Amino acid sequence: MSADLLSLLFSFQPDAEELKQKTAYDTQVQQFIRQVSNVSAQHFQKGAETQQDVLELLNPSVNSISYIYALQARISAIADNPRSQKSVPEQLRPGGALWNKIVLFLETADPVQLRYVGSIWARLVLYLEQVARVMGTPALAIAPIRSAMQRLDPTTGTFTTTHLQFIRLCMETRSYAAAKPILDNYIHSLPSTIPLLVKELEYSVPSADHINSGEYIHAKSGHSDKIGASDVQEYYVLGGMAYIGLQEYKKALNFLEHVLIVPSFNIANGLMLEAYKKWVLLSCLVHGSVQAIPRTANGTAIKLIKGAAKAYEALAEAFVQINNLPKLRAQANAGRDTWAEDGNTGLVQQLLDNQYRFYVSRLSRTFSAIPVANISNNLGGTVEDLTQYLETLIASGHLNAQIERTNKPDLGIVLRFYLDPTQGPQAKTEKQQQQALFEQTARTNILAEQVRSADYRLSLTKEYVEHLKRANKKATAAASGEAMDTSWDENMVDLEEEDIMGDL
Amino acid sequence: MASSVEQSEYFQRQKAKGAMVVKDPPKFDLESYISNYDGSTRLDRLDHIGSTSTYLAVDAYRIAIPEAKRGKNVKLYLALVEDFSTIAPNDPLATPDLGWADKKNREVKEEQDKLEHELKSYKNNLIKESIRMGNEDLGHFYYATGNYVEAHKAYYRMREHCTSSKHLADMTLRMVYVNIAQKAWLGVQSHLVKVDAAQLKGEDKTKLEPIISACSGLAHLCTNSFRDAATSFIWTSPLFLTLEPAAGITWQREILSGNDIAVYGGLCALASMDRSELQQKILANSDFRNFLELEPQIRRAITLFCNSKYSACLEVLEGYRTDYLLDVYLSRVLSAIYSKIRTKSIVQYFIPFSCVTLDEMATKFQLTGEYASIEDELEDMINNGVLDARIDLVDRLLISPPTNPRYNVHAEALTMAEKYDHTLRLRLTRVNLLSAGLTLQAEKGHSKDGATGLGEGIIRGLGSKLGLS
Repeated sequence: MSADLLSLLFSFQPDAEELKQKTAYDTQVQQFIRQVSNVSAQHFQKGAETQQDVLELLNPSVNSISYIYALQARISAIADNPRSQKSVPEQLRPGGALWNKIVLFLETADPVQLRYVGSIWARLVLYLEQVARVMGTPALAIAPIRSAMQRLDPTTGTFTTTHLQFIRLCMETRSYAAAKPILDNYIHSLPSTIPLLVKELEYSVPSADHINSGEYIHAKSGHSDKIGASDVQEYYVLGGMAYIGLQEYKKALNFLEHVLIVPSFNIANGLMLEAYKKWVLLSCLVHGSVQAIPRTANGTAIKLIKGAAKAYEALAEAFVQINNLPKLRAQANAGRDTWAEDGNTGLVQQLLDNQYRFYVSRLSRTFSAIPVANISNNLGGTVEDLTQYLETLIASGHLNAQIERTNKPDLGIVLRFYLDPTQGPQAKTEKQQQQALFEQTARTNILAEQVRSADYRLSLTKEYVEHLKRANKKATAAASGEAMDTSWDENMVDLEEEDIMGDL
Repeated sequence: MASSVEQSEYFQRQKAKGAMVVKDPPKFDLESYISNYDGSTRLDRLDHIGSTSTYLAVDAYRIAIPEAKRGKNVKLYLALVEDFSTIAPNDPLATPDLGWADKKNREVKEEQDKLEHELKSYKNNLIKESIRMGNEDLGHFYYATGNYVEAHKAYYRMREHCTSSKHLADMTLRMVYVNIAQKAWLGVQSHLVKVDAAQLKGEDKTKLEPIISACSGLAHLCTNSFRDAATSFIWTSPLFLTLEPAAGITWQREILSGNDIAVYGGLCALASMDRSELQQKILANSDFRNFLELEPQIRRAITLFCNSKYSACLEVLEGYRTDYLLDVYLSRVLSAIYSKIRTKSIVQYFIPFSCVTLDEMATKFQLTGEYASIEDELEDMINNGVLDARIDLVDRLLISPPTNPRYNVHAEALTMAEKYDHTLRLRLTRVNLLSAGLTLQAEKGHSKDGATGLGEGIIRGLGSKLGLS
């Protein structure tokens, strides 16, 4: 029996010659999965903890499908649904033998095979997190989950519930830096429904060499649960907060904008409000004033949010008045409870700290050299403190200037700005600039590719989407008793499509 | 005497109020200056000079008070006497002639009753022309007594009884006149448009055009639109100087004289135009030359500016500051105009240099008292974006910043690319959400009304989502 099992488990060899053809691979895998999933748990259990253990015999990076089924059977046998620390056996705890096997598998499994076992993979990841949580060490699950995500999809650009699960875990454990590798990858696709007809094409089977991970992580592949708009929003809000934690305000700002442009039937939700509040503060920190909301955002929704975030706008207004430094302080004090309630006290504090920076950098537009004593007359504080502050600003690259110590007693210490942008600590050589331009070009090209595939997906499903919309419309009309006006939405879809073509 | 006037209660009070007080003697002679004007503007101008210039106050009031007594405006007379009594209490004119005031009040009342009665009877007879004239008389009467609001109403009532376009034009000009007396400049502008729209032809039109352009120039000047004012003034036809009275008003005597047009127009042009424009539109403008000949110092200032002799130009203007401050319309906007000319001169002066010492700037452009030092003034100009330069407070230099177009183009390209990149990402996210059918909707059971949906939606959203974060 055991030999039978083994021969079955080893019967699928991904590198076999006859499987070079992608469709052949696909049929083989499907058939193989059907067989393996019929194997009962007892068979996998046989020989556990011995030399003949299937988990020892199988190679996770070659026999990934067999391995994951074996793992599943093993886990459900010993602790299917861990609730307390006691119910987690020793070998499954972080550092235990089985735990290590799971981690090893997630890190080294064959990405192509993983595409076929989406739901088991997702369950395994979830299980790992559950165990870590029950054991009171949620942080231990972060690295394995991250590797698992990267293994499945090196770009991690197709949104899955695992993304959300991962960022929640990072935020709970304050592991902002650990989240960065995932956050830095742009979410270019959402799991969508791919028509059956397309799925069976030679180049569309999951095993084909896809450029875009959205082709094999889709609504039916099992890698992700059903996703709602608020899931995506939550991911971006939490991601934005992680960037704030890392003090990467520019990225945080860009992240939060993704929350604001979520399509909406003239309503907003709490996540948008939350994002908007932080967005106002960050906008000040990055640009020195509140910028315009991205044009694609729903106007009515934004209006509703603005009405609920007046305190933040007042703060931003005070921030802009660089000549009136005490005003910001007063505003910040007045709204102290609001900031604390919203969890934004830290950001407001940053605003206070950074107003001096904007004050000084505005001086650079007026002066080429100014005695520090003059600045301290306007700002208050001693010359020594201010000099130190200016030196930190220069060292951190916020200020293109240098501090000079003159002998003349009436001048004292002098702040001298570099007028030529090619000089001073902030200067970039032409090589560096060129390099930056090249990098940007590369990024843009990748993005163009992603846009192209999004366009492709849209063109595939357009009829279907429209059909679905009509069906939805009928359903909602039947449910609520009145017809919803969806004409706006349809127009938007058309507009967006045109935009994509234009941008290409 | 001037010093005692300066110490008088009235000017102390004016100073405390922050009102303008001019101590220096002006270049003009009061008698000959005021002889250029007639009608209400004469008293208005005298009042302004009397209340502003310590040097001319006594003379101005001495001319003004007897004149006011000859008119029907009792309130103005009493006000003038009261002001004068705080300047020179011992002057015989400083005690109000109450008997005259009572008598005059009575007379005025009688006249008003008479005119109103007449109007009523005209109305009963339903003769349009009579009603129009009755209203006109009443308007003239109210104007003379200084009740401009009622005058405006009376003139306005003429409207429906006007039978010819000339009547209409006359009525509108009267309205302009009243509005100028009230210093209601927006009203002046709107009525001027109406005069322009009245379909007058031929000679009538050419007669009215100079009045319209002069008055609209004045209105623009008083509303601080110097550029528009300059254009109106410099295209005013020299016909204005010799114009017959229109609508019973001698405009060049009762509102503003040719000299005024030259001064107002010249200063506004200096404040708002660049050198080549000044050359073309002012110095080469044969129409405006007629006016400029009346005020040679303005012509000189403009010529100096065009020849890049900025400090000499400012010097000339400074020399006439007192005169212009005593002008009833110019005094309010003069400092704005002067500072505009000054900043323009500084900018023009700095263009050919890469670096000038601050001391040199300070000697070239004498401080006007508005700023404590030339640095402050330059700092303000740079902050306002007027002057593209940097101040070196250490070596006391004004430096023109070096430009590096190649670097800038690269930097701009990079920021632009990043911006587009980000915008595209936002759009793509949105498309993805739309194509996946993920659109925020009011929850089922809620009405479509967004506001109520939001209130609950937000609270619910915050409750469930933020608990996790």
